[in-house]
Amino acid sequence: MQIATQPAMPADDGFIDASAAGNIARWLRAETHASDVRVTTFERLPGGAIQDNWTLDVEIDGGPWQGTHGLVLRTDAPSGVAVSLTRAQEFEVLSVAHAGGVTAPKPLFLCRDLEVIGRVFFLMQRMRGLAAGHRLTREALLVPDADALAESLGANLARIHAIRPPRADLGGLPPPAPDHARATIAGYRAYLDGLEDAYPALEWGLRWCETHASAPWETALIHRDYRTGNYLVDGGRLSAVLDWEFAGWGDPREDLGWFTARCWRFGAQGREAGGIAPLEPFLRGYERVAGRSIDRAGLDYWQAMAHLRWAIIALQQAQRHVAGGERSLELALTGRIVHELEYELLQLIAGEAR
Amino acid sequence: MKNISDAADLIATARQALLDELLPRLNKDQRYAGLMIANAMAIALREQRAGADAARAESARIAALLGASSSGSPHDDEALTAQRRALCLAIRAGSFDQDARAAALTAHLLRTAADWVAISNPKALRAAEVPA
Repeated sequence: MQIATQPAMPADDGFIDASAAGNIARWLRAETHASDVRVTTFERLPGGAIQDNWTLDVEIDGGPWQGTHGLVLRTDAPSGVAVSLTRAQEFEVLSVAHAGGVTAPKPLFLCRDLEVIGRVFFLMQRMRGLAAGHRLTREALLVPDADALAESLGANLARIHAIRPPRADLGGLPPPAPDHARATIAGYRAYLDGLEDAYPALEWGLRWCETHASAPWETALIHRDYRTGNYLVDGGRLSAVLDWEFAGWGDPREDLGWFTARCWRFGAQGREAGGIAPLEPFLRGYERVAGRSIDRAGLDYWQAMAHLRWAIIALQQAQRHVAGGERSLELALTGRIVHELEYELLQLIAGEAR
Repeated sequence: MKNISDAADLIATARQALLDELLPRLNKDQRYAGLMIANAMAIALREQRAGADAARAESARIAALLGASSSGSPHDDEALTAQRRALCLAIRAGSFDQDARAAALTAHLLRTAADWVAISNPKALRAAEVPA
């Protein structure tokens, strides 16, 4: 999970350095059937707590890819959260989503050969735009027509949810649970039970979600991190949905709750659609493509689940600092977010928050 | 009046020195780290002032909810963790599912969460829960 702030990745983690560019050029020459490939830019992108992203420009001579290309290389950071997909799985998901008409970077090449840079990685098209949630929610000039952006975000999410199991081309994903909400609750409880401390507010949230669960929606591909901060906006329009590492089969309402939850509005609490716009245009766009929408009770329920999920992830981040040997102020402060998430979760349960 | 600085005064003074003397000289990346450090110090300071009271009050409320007598002893982290764990077990077993019990539990948990938000990030409190 990419966390809300921008962690500084160490540049010398011993895995990748600028000399990898030569290996990538040689590998790409074979992949693209070119006579020559030159990597002219190779720089690490900031902001990946789990994934390690590099921007590169390549010049290709000969073959079907002849020309210059702006690419992003995506690989694993030295440590991550256990539940995320492997790069090969993520490449698979992104390929299916892109082919399904989802606005996302086109995935181009997957490299499983560890001889090239020491880790599995893939290359995708580099998209233009800004992702920073704290800017998109504050600077009106960046989003001149917020309702239109929210509507296209809703429509785009529905296109992801149109991908349904079984799919032979998504064979790498874990099989869907019969009831996503209950399976999720069981997973969170199992995680909490392994911790030294106890969290009654989260426990009460889980009990409330258990007793208030409604019939599941039909299982679909869900993104599981579809929120402001994880998509690019260029010229006021959606240009790409990023960060597919948590995607999997599940109940589509989880994504609707995650996108609209207070914890992902970057302080713009009055704009329920990701801090960007009111709820209505977002749901209108969703309904136009999906043919169905979510009611208020359903949205409250999945916003409560969103706060639970974020709290569990924040606890995982805190554990990396406290017990995982990765001493980091950023991770330590992420742990302190749990109090706020508990507070918002309880407001939702008490029926007092929107 | 104390003659020398206590822990709280040291943290507050060090934080002010960071903000006034160091932060203006830092570049953009360092500035982000500087702000995180200042934030961490502010949280530590608020916890130093209010954490023990919040924990004592939480302990007394859990004792009341579970029908146990409160030990009344000074704040003890391990004892509070044991109380929280007992409360978690009761919640999972369904002991708070009835409306009246659920309301009492929610009130307790909201008070507890608000006390800790007042320490971790007071700006996130709704108006009703901002401490006087």
